[in-house]
Amino acid sequence: MVKERIAFPSFSQEPIRLIDPEGCWVAPFSHGLSAQELRHFYRDMLAARLLDEKLVVLVRTGRTSFIAPHAGHEAAQVGIAHALRKGHDWLFPYYRDLGLVLAMGVPPVEIFGQTLGNAADPAKGRQMPSHPGSRPLNIFTVCSAIASHIPPATGAAISMKLRRTHQVAVCTFGDGATSEGDWHAGVNFAAVQRAPVVFVCENNRYAISVNISKQTASENIAVKAKAYGIPGYYVDGLDVLASYFVVQYVVERARAGEGPSLVELAVHRFGPHSSADDDTRYKSREELSAERQQDPILRYQRFLEREGLWDAQWANELRLEIAKELETALQEAQKAGEPDPLQMFDDVYAARPWHLEEQRRQVAEELEA
Amino acid sequence: MPIVTLVQAINMALDEELRRDERVMILGEDVGQRGGVFLATEGLQQKYGPDRVMDTPLSEAAILGAAVGLAAHGMRPVAEIQFADYVFPGIDQLFSQAAKLRYRSGGQFTAPMVVRMPSGGGVKGGHHHSQSPEAHFAHTPGLKVVVVSTPYDAKGLLKSAIRDDDPVVFMEPKRLYRAVKEEVPSDDYLIPIGKAALRREGRDITLVSYGGPMVETLKAAEEMAVAGVEAEVIDLRTVMPWDKETVLNSVAKTGRLLVVSEAPRTASVASEVAATVSEELFDQLLAPPLRVTGFDTPYPLAQDKLYMPTVTRILNAAKRLLDY
Ligand SMILES: Cc1ncc(C[n+]2csc(CCOP(=O)(O)OP(=O)(O)O)c2C)c(N)n1
Repeated sequence: MVKERIAFPSFSQEPIRLIDPEGCWVAPFSHGLSAQELRHFYRDMLAARLLDEKLVVLVRTGRTSFIAPHAGHEAAQVGIAHALRKGHDWLFPYYRDLGLVLAMGVPPVEIFGQTLGNAADPAKGRQMPSHPGSRPLNIFTVCSAIASHIPPATGAAISMKLRRTHQVAVCTFGDGATSEGDWHAGVNFAAVQRAPVVFVCENNRYAISVNISKQTASENIAVKAKAYGIPGYYVDGLDVLASYFVVQYVVERARAGEGPSLVELAVHRFGPHSSADDDTRYKSREELSAERQQDPILRYQRFLEREGLWDAQWANELRLEIAKELETALQEAQKAGEPDPLQMFDDVYAARPWHLEEQRRQVAEELEA
Repeated sequence: MPIVTLVQAINMALDEELRRDERVMILGEDVGQRGGVFLATEGLQQKYGPDRVMDTPLSEAAILGAAVGLAAHGMRPVAEIQFADYVFPGIDQLFSQAAKLRYRSGGQFTAPMVVRMPSGGGVKGGHHHSQSPEAHFAHTPGLKVVVVSTPYDAKGLLKSAIRDDDPVVFMEPKRLYRAVKEEVPSDDYLIPIGKAALRREGRDITLVSYGGPMVETLKAAEEMAVAGVEAEVIDLRTVMPWDKETVLNSVAKTGRLLVVSEAPRTASVASEVAATVSEELFDQLLAPPLRVTGFDTPYPLAQDKLYMPTVTRILNAAKRLLDY
């Protein structure tokens, strides 16, 4: 569907960008995407934004406890999702990736079920919101411990290599994650093994309140790859097609046995770190509004307009259609009800040992009383 | 039947499992050409190649974390941690990832992996080659914890661990690696995880131990027998989940419990066994359960012998129970 293997420069000084802020296609090759494909990116970004807005409302109205907003990351996340072979490749996401998992095809009812921690959650309400996962879609359930999923992504990729499954593992994380020891451990081992894994940093320049300047003295995240002997790509993550083409390039490179890569998608985090955070404590009003001026969805809208593929009526209808889909999914999720309390004792092990049987019996008796 | 040491029995189990199941692989520091620093994996890379017996970077986080991903993707990794004392750089992978993967995903993803590690003291290793950290693992829901003391058990339990669908921490008391020898069948057999072994029958007192101090515990039981006291000796073998039934049955008979372990005392496996017996058999006890354990200090070098549970210390504690 796309030009095979458009080569991108690693370690560029300037971020790789295919669409400029005015929506002009500035790449030296043609994108080769159909109108339908181009509009699909828009749809997924819009859905990601609307999901984010809806989740924020769920927190504000007390229907859930927490959310890590992804507004500002949509182009990066949708670009990544489109670069994977869904249900074949594996994704190792982090907690800010609800837009990504939605674009990967996780049913919204599952996302809302996970957000509500109720019986509509395939993970049985075990974790706080923003921790999705899907066995059928090979989406490794999010773990709160920052960067702890990097070595597992490497391990899965080594398995893919050993068993020649022609799969690729894609692992996403924030800029703060790159300071963790587990990040180094996972990237280094993957590089040594030439494992088919792609590490993607969604760099919003903040780890909660800590600015990137306090996180690393490297000139950017992508250059860190050099030390591991793998290529690093510095990409404008507000440009959905740049995100898509570069990630696709390195995913196929990995699939072809050429080893791992690191991709840095430079994005903004429009919201606070989480619903429990107040970003005005560490971001100036000017900074916040300057960031919001660079809306990735608006930039792509301008591009589509230039391509003759966007008009307000179509966009409005699309917005209504997505909003309705999300609302229906939310209602369905809300109907699912609480998970069985005794499920607390399931899935610790494949089978319950005696001590969990005892503890389960105690709770069962309490519940009956 | 070959007569083998504990470390040779480990090697046999690994060899047989690598041959039996293509998904089984070994990863760790120096496990390849070198065969591991204790030679537990000797000859295996030559036999199965560098992909299935893989030398890793010097990173416990990489070893354990990669094992989680390998296992989740369908392999059966056996990770070697060179010394139990060096599991800590990788502990987040074991505690946050391996132990909780099944639970956090609601059973969608699992990590059937084995983490082998030489543990325990008595080899003049100072505090970073001597620790017995089993309580940390036992205190982390989602992990199973095995501590072996005989070659026969080591082979059968390691095979069970490799075939288990959950992460198993498999601890090998390094001072027993070459100190004990016995006949070990070269055919396939399994010893179930979670079942203790009755090492000696007796009616007067129950001695419960596992791993390294099984040696001293059995010696103490022999000395007691000379003095006319019949001690029942139980080797837990698995400390999570431990075999409560076997222990309770024995203490119900003897009325006296002594737990022996070389791990630090506070919040230990020994404490757990003693507390459970107190709770469940209070009115049948002839004396309060006692513990002979390591001390709540970092493992010392110069006082290596003083730190470990000795036969004398076990006998003294037993006497307290019998004279109570
Ligand atoms: C190991 C660990 N330490 C601390 C935290 C608390 N924490 C949660 S998110 C976060 C910031 C992460 O920032 P970054 O990796 O840049 O991702 P972002 O949230 O900006 O997308 C911190 C410190 C954690 N979850 N895990």
